[in-house]
Amino acid sequence: MASAPAGPSPTRRRELYQPAIQHARTMRAHLARLLDAYVESQGLNIELDLDFVDGIPSASTEQWGNLAEAERLELNVKAYRSFQDLLNEVLEDQKQHFTPASTDFHEDIRTAIIHVETFSNHLEELMVSLEHEVPEKEMGISGVETGTLFQKKLKGYKVLLELLQWARRSISDLNQLSKNGRYQAK
Amino acid sequence: AQRHSQQESRMQYERIGSDITMKCGTLDWDAAVTWTANGTDIDKSHLNGSSLLIRAADLSHNGIYSCFDSSTWQLRYQVTLKMGYPPKEPVLMCRSNNYPKSFYCSWHMPYPTYIPNSFNISVSHGSKLLACERDTFPKNRCHIKYSHLFSTLKYRVTVVVTNALGRNSASISFEEFSIVKPDPPENVVAKPVINNPRRLEVTWQNPASWPDPDSFPLKFFLRYRPLILDQWQHVELSDGTSHTITDAYAGKEYIIQVAAKDSEIGTWSDWSVAAHATPWMEEPKHLTTEAQIAETSTTTTTTTTTITTVYLQPPTTKIS
Repeated sequence: MASAPAGPSPTRRRELYQPAIQHARTMRAHLARLLDAYVESQGLNIELDLDFVDGIPSASTEQWGNLAEAERLELNVKAYRSFQDLLNEVLEDQKQHFTPASTDFHEDIRTAIIHVETFSNHLEELMVSLEHEVPEKEMGISGVETGTLFQKKLKGYKVLLELLQWARRSISDLNQLSKNGRYQAK
Repeated sequence: AQRHSQQESRMQYERIGSDITMKCGTLDWDAAVTWTANGTDIDKSHLNGSSLLIRAADLSHNGIYSCFDSSTWQLRYQVTLKMGYPPKEPVLMCRSNNYPKSFYCSWHMPYPTYIPNSFNISVSHGSKLLACERDTFPKNRCHIKYSHLFSTLKYRVTVVVTNALGRNSASISFEEFSIVKPDPPENVVAKPVINNPRRLEVTWQNPASWPDPDSFPLKFFLRYRPLILDQWQHVELSDGTSHTITDAYAGKEYIIQVAAKDSEIGTWSDWSVAAHATPWMEEPKHLTTEAQIAETSTTTTTTTTTITTVYLQPPTTKIS
């Protein structure tokens, strides 16, 4: 009986994953600074209730320990694709409604968009290298934006909050996968 | 006559510094009575009619107070008095030293109350209540499993302390990551490196309590100094569990400690247990045999050979 494909050797696995881990770390550092800047520039109190904001991929998971490689990477890719659209929305809101004159701040958001886009592509290339199926691209979120300006501001905050959590999650995902393709919960 | 002291003793808690009046059960105000404290008669000056009056009571007044009807020597009232304080706000802290498995919360009273306290702790994650499994020891600690990871929702922990004199509480809220603090690294070992008088090789291990270093790698902070100096030298290491010190003072005993932190989140551990080592030193040439002495005197002008340790200052370190 043919045994399951062995998958890349530990050395090859590390070679594949290390650049992605480094990429995720760089992105996380930038997002942490951007979140602080957002809270400060919008005058927000971080003890806010954000439950009303939906449509943002949540990094929170109960099953993190038991996800297999393909599933883990797929969840990451889908999340970062959504965040590209969400961040573009945040940028537009800032330019039109909240900080029209803060071009540096807009530049930081643009940098975050680039980070997310390139990291998403990096993960897709990784999936190809590991012979996993890359998820189909879904239509970007569009439609009439509803809610008050304050709700838009809070949504922007939640987008960055969740995105930072995803960056942390991705680092742990990739660390785990760089050592062991099929994670066994300890 | 024999005093009859059959009565179920009740507890009475009073605040330290307060005045206390004890009535002799249902006896009239002017009934003839005798009060005892732990079996010793109390002077009549402390009585107000048949009631006992204690002014500005303190811990020394703790004890069993009994009131006897002087005519029948029957015990009409008995109480155990306990002096104490209502609880102040407890000190509450939570920490995860085995992320991402669980975290624990512990609490203590900043000041003694001298009377029994009971504690009730509640933990919520967002709107969801979580179980907090109490440790048998220490009693003031309980453990909570991380049900969700990478959550933006905060945890909220509240401890309520109650005793006979009052009630108080403390609450903290925190993100999943902020309370992560590993235990110190273990088995820190330092060794000299043969033929290298300026080097020490240091190795250590991840704390055993850290469950998944693969997914959540630790980084380390190493500090070292010769015992003769107070100033530490530091080096941060992003991975691996070994390091070679290359700028040690020759011949000086060193003390070395290591701390750990999750590579991405939380705070540094405490310093590890210290390791000690002295860099490798060349064996001093001892003149032991006649031949060697003779040989030395014919070839060189005899001088007293003093072995001196050259005290070299490492290029990287400025000694002020």
